[in-house]
Order: sequence, then structure tokens, then C-alpha cells
Amino acid sequence: MKFLPTILFALLFVFISSCDKDEPQTEKNFTLTFKSTYGGLALEKYKNYPYDDRDIQVNKFNTFLSDLILVRQDGSEQRLSDIEWVDFTPDLAPDNKAVDVKFQYTVPAGNYTALKIGYGVRPDLNAKKPADFAPEHPLYRENEYWSGWQSYIFTKVQGLYDLDGAGDPESTLTYHCGSDAVYRTSTMNATIPVTDKSGALTVEFDVKKLFYYNGGLLDLDDPLNRNTSHNASNIDLGIKVMDNFANATTVK
Amino acid sequence: MLYRKSFLFALLVLAVITLAQRCKEPSGTCGMGCDLTDIPYNPTAYTIPKPAHFPQIPVPANNPMTLEGVQLGRRLFYDPILSADSTMSCSSCHLPQGSFTDNKAVSTGIDGIQGRRSSMSLLNIAYATNGLFWDGRSASLEEQALLPVEDPVEMHHTWPNVVEQLKSHPVYPELFRKAFGIDNCCGITKELAARALAQFERILISSGTSRYDQYILGDPDALDDKELDGKLMFFDEGQVVNLPDAQCFHCHGSITLTGNNYFNNGLDSVASLDDFTDKGRGGISGNRTDNGKFRTPTLRNIALTAPYMHDGRFPTLEAVLEHYNGNGKGVSNEDPFVQQIGFPLGGNVLQYSGLTAYQRQAVIKFLHTLTDTTFINNPDIQKPD
Ligand code: HEC
Ligand code: HEC
Repeated sequence: MKFLPTILFALLFVFISSCDKDEPQTEKNFTLTFKSTYGGLALEKYKNYPYDDRDIQVNKFNTFLSDLILVRQDGSEQRLSDIEWVDFTPDLAPDNKAVDVKFQYTVPAGNYTALKIGYGVRPDLNAKKPADFAPEHPLYRENEYWSGWQSYIFTKVQGLYDLDGAGDPESTLTYHCGSDAVYRTSTMNATIPVTDKSGALTVEFDVKKLFYYNGGLLDLDDPLNRNTSHNASNIDLGIKVMDNFANATTVK
Repeated sequence: MLYRKSFLFALLVLAVITLAQRCKEPSGTCGMGCDLTDIPYNPTAYTIPKPAHFPQIPVPANNPMTLEGVQLGRRLFYDPILSADSTMSCSSCHLPQGSFTDNKAVSTGIDGIQGRRSSMSLLNIAYATNGLFWDGRSASLEEQALLPVEDPVEMHHTWPNVVEQLKSHPVYPELFRKAFGIDNCCGITKELAARALAQFERILISSGTSRYDQYILGDPDALDDKELDGKLMFFDEGQVVNLPDAQCFHCHGSITLTGNNYFNNGLDSVASLDDFTDKGRGGISGNRTDNGKFRTPTLRNIALTAPYMHDGRFPTLEAVLEHYNGNGKGVSNEDPFVQQIGFPLGGNVLQYSGLTAYQRQAVIKFLHTLTDTTFINNPDIQKPD
């Protein structure tokens, strides 16, 4: 019986310390969700979508985003993250539906009026390489790095286009874009109320809008518009895609 | 009298049951003579040696590396005690000299039954964090290590039997004590065995001394002209000297040359996605468009691991390059890069040229510069005495 108080105390301690561990998670009061669409429709791998009078498939879509920052009315800023990697089409997904990618942050309560986004890896981080980062870090990913051009691959879009017009997309589309020259930023206005307990924002990328150029869709019959897979090859195409990112973004 | 006898008997039965019961428990007093508390438990934290230019090695928080854990894992890896008839160890199919493959098209288990797949190199396996096996059906080395023991086409044993053998073994109880601090032999579990195996596998890291490593570390003479041409094509850097893109690095990327991603790399010409003999990733995910996709293996030490692909279909690297030069089979879930191998000038796909015989040979010659004999001869990873 003498031990009873000790045991109770020990139990209490265990209880308290386990509470401690949970605390930082519940503290995070702001959720940022990234979604992907094609022409307003939910994105799905290996599904045919209309592209002018032909069909197109988008079978891979991922991107780095830098300097995610919430902006207050007075222009002051609340940094959410230096860098995130958003993969809408992970290998191990259970089906072909593009996944929603969520991040949680701790943010002071308040009314925020905009979200700043950097498309790609901002130059000082892009000067580093995967071996410079810990395994948990978004920039640890070796598969998203071009050793030949010392740059991260900012964004990857891959798919197929019905070039021969026979009905099923068969011609490859590969847009691997990177290098400091194609880093882009934007500020998306929105009403973003955040309380101590919760706050949320959804950012949507419409892949079809990545293909808009000079008021129309890129002409995919032109082979120069179908593939760019390293920054020394078809940088013009890489620039077009990255230029379009802000236009392809909506926040809710 | 009768009453007393049956009472005593019942007591005896009870005592035996309790003892047996206790022996199943992971810790606590158990089985006379198997107390291990006299043996000190002072595990030594272990930092996995790696070349400076290699990325940091992911180690799961629930299985920290210790010298004692690695030593135990190494012993288990080479010990046929894990197979039903004590003829086969992990190393029977993962031999150091074959960069931890068995150099067979498909592996054969203890009962002489052939599996359907080729053994995989365990070089740099610590970096494989996107699923294990050709089809990604196992999530971690800890989880994977449990499987071969009970696989009927591999070691065809049962874990309860292995654990019994380990408990009554003259050496293992002490090694488990030193690695994991168990109080007595009954603390030995399959999970601890798997953790030790995983720790050993995590130290199977390149030495960083291959000729390719020497080249990227700054010795321009480490590769001859042909090897350099091969390297330029492998990494799509050949434009400067007007060499086509071989596109290999898109999938076998960066330092470890292990993509870890899943692709259909154009091996099979099938009428529909349902017709692959081995569905690969699709067999696990149940997703039809994953059929025919396999995990990209490392190309480090590739010259030592023939034959090639998940079913060992290609005996030589020449055959592999021949395959890639065919630009896939046009199956709908093939990765786009498979259909762009040998295109001139990166993305400016105007005309397919293919890789010439010289260019294919140059890529193969480059692949040979990835050979790391220091790794396969490293005394720390061989069968322990
Ligand atoms: C009978 C031969 C055989 C034995 C014995 C064997 N393996 Fe394997 N191993 C294979 C084959 C074949 C594969 C690929 C199987 C597949 O993908 O379905 C493999 C795959 C693996 C992988 C996955 C590697 C990767 O890159 O994903 C690991 C890890 C591994 N084995 C470890 C072990 C360990 C540890 C043992 C002992 C407990 C062991 N193996 C025993 C044949 C064997
Ligand atoms: C689209 C991605 C992709 C591209 C591009 C690619 N590979 Fe592969 N490679 C794979 C995959 C996936 C496998 C495993 C396929 C299987 O076994 O079913 C593989 C397997 C191999 C193997 C056999 C490995 C082993 O352990 O058996 C070799 C060798 C190889 N590739 C070399 C190359 C070379 C050289 C190139 C460039 C000419 C190249 N690959 C381009 C994805 C790719």
C-alpha cells in the first residue's frame, strides 16, 4: 500500500508527459490545402480531358513552392514556410485521383488578406543540393534535382496528347521546369480569418491554365511545345509554363 | 488421497502453464537459466559511415542504430538458422560479391521452388523510402525483414520456431541483450530480430570510391573519353558535344542513382493493361494503370548484378541498352521518357535518332564506372567469423 501514492504519481506523470507530446500538434491552427484541377474538373491520372478539339492526359503533377506567406491588412507578413513540395500524383496513391496536399502551421489569430506564393525553389535555396538537407526536408528529394544544371526541378507535369487525332492520347508531354530564371512569385488576395483554434485556405492549381499562352492554348501539334526536360533544352517552354502558374492559381 | 493427488497434479499443471505463459512474455522473470541481467547493456550509438557527397541517411526514430544492433543483424543475415532446414540465409540470395544479389534470373528457395522475381541489390537500401520490393509491397526494412523467413518460395520457416531456436542458442540471447536490453532469453521476438536485420542493412552504403565518384569529386581523369560521353548521355548533358539524350537520369537519378519511383519502363508489349504476366505495382495497389510498373533499382554496382530487370530477362547490359533503344512498346502507362531515349537535343523532339552502337557502348562503359569493389570487399559487411 505504501507504493500506491508513488504509482499514482508515476501514472500522473506518464499522463502529463503524453499530453505534452500532443500539444504542438493541436496548437497548429492554420491549414493550407493544395488541390489540382484540369479545366475546373478534379484532376485524375490517365483520364482524358479536352484540349481544344483533342484529348489530353495529365499523369504526373508536382511542384515546389517557396515563401508561403500570409499578409495582413497593414501589409505586415506572417511566414508559413520557406519551402514545401506538393505532389498531387504520388506513386503509392490508392487510385488515380489526384490527392489533396495539406500543411498545418501555427499562426497568430487575425484577419489576413492575402497569400504570397513563390513558384519553384527560391534562388538561395536553389543554390543548395539534396545532400545539404535532412531526410525530412522537402529539398532532400534527389529525384527532383538536376545534378547536371545544379537546380531543383521546380515543377513536373507529364502526360499524353492525342497528336494523331485518332481519339486516344499517345504522344508524350513532359514539362520539367527549373532554374533561377523561371522562379516566379505572386500575391493572391483573399479573406482569410484565423482564430486561435482554426483557419484554413485552399489553393487550387488548374493544369489546363498552365498551357495558356498569348490568349489561347499552346499549340501542342508543335513539337517544340510538347517536351522540355532539362533547363538547357527548351527553356522558352519552361518559362511559358512557369509564367502561367500565377494565372493557374485560385485561392478560396 | 485421490483428492490430494489430483490437487497436486492440478498445481503442477498450473505451474507449467504459468511458466510457459511467462516465457511468451517479452520481459520479466522467465525460464530458469535464461536470465541475462548479469550481462551489461550499454549500447554504443552508431553513425553509419557514408561518403561526404552522399545525402544524409534516413534512420527511423523507433530503431536507432547501435553497434550491437548492427553486429546482431549481421550475424542473423548470414545465419541459416532463419530457414526451415537450416540451409539458407538472407545471404544465400543477397551475396556481397553480387552487390547483395544472387546473380540469378529468379531466386530459388529452400524447397527448390523458383520464385517469380529476381533478387534485388541491397546497396544503399537505407535510402529506399518509397516502398520496398519491385512492387513496393513493404513499407520499411523492419517490416520487410519479417517476410522472407515465412515465404514458402524462400526460407519457408515459421517465426515462432525461429524465435525458439534463437532463445535456446548459445550466443544469440547475449547478443539480443547487448543490442536491445532484454532481461532474459524470452525477450527475443521476431520484431527485435527484424530491427537488427534492418540496422545491418542500413550500413550497406557505397564507399564513394567508384571511378564515377572520383570524377564528380573533381578528378577529370577518372573517366576516359568514351565513359565521359556515356555520362553526358546518361544525364542528358550531351548537347555541348552534340550527343543525344539517353534520359536515364530522369528515373535513375542523382547521387545514389536510385529513383525509388515506379514506372513502366517499356519492357512488355501487351494488348491491354490487364495482360502483364507480372502486374508489379498494380498487383499490390489493385489499380489497373499501375500494372507493369516496377520500382526503379539503383544502377550503382550494376555491372555486378546481372541478369537484369524484375524477372532477370536480360543477361547483359548490352541487352538492356538494346531494350531502351527500342523506345518502349507504346503501352499507355509507359513513362514518357521511355519513348524519348535517343532523341537529339533534350526536349526539342523533332526527330528520333536512337542511340548508335558507339553511343550505347559509351553508356555501358559509363555504367561500369559505377562499380564499387571497395564496398563489396568491405570487411564490416562480410559473413562474421
Ligand atoms: C530465396 C532467395 C531470398 C532470400 C533467402 C532472401 N531474399 Fe531478399 N529478396 C529476394 C527477392 C527475389 C527479392 C525481390 C522480391 C520481390 O520484389 O517480390 C528480394 C528483396 C529483398 C529486399 C527489398 C530490396 C529493395 O530494393 O526493395 C530486401 C530489403 C531483402 N530482400 C532483404 C532480405 C533479408 C533481410 C533476408 C533474410 C531475412 C532476405 N532478403 C532473404 C530473394 C531472397
Ligand atoms: C522511365 C524511367 C526509366 C528510364 C528513363 C530508364 N530506366 Fe532503367 N529502369 C527503370 C525501371 C522502373 C526499372 C525496373 C524495371 C523492371 O524490372 O521491371 C529499370 C531497370 C533498369 C536496369 C536493370 C536494373 C536491375 O537491377 O536489374 C538497368 C541496367 C537500367 N534500368 C538502366 C537504364 C539505363 C542505362 C537507362 C538510360 C538508357 C535507363 N535505365 C532509363 C526505369 C527507367
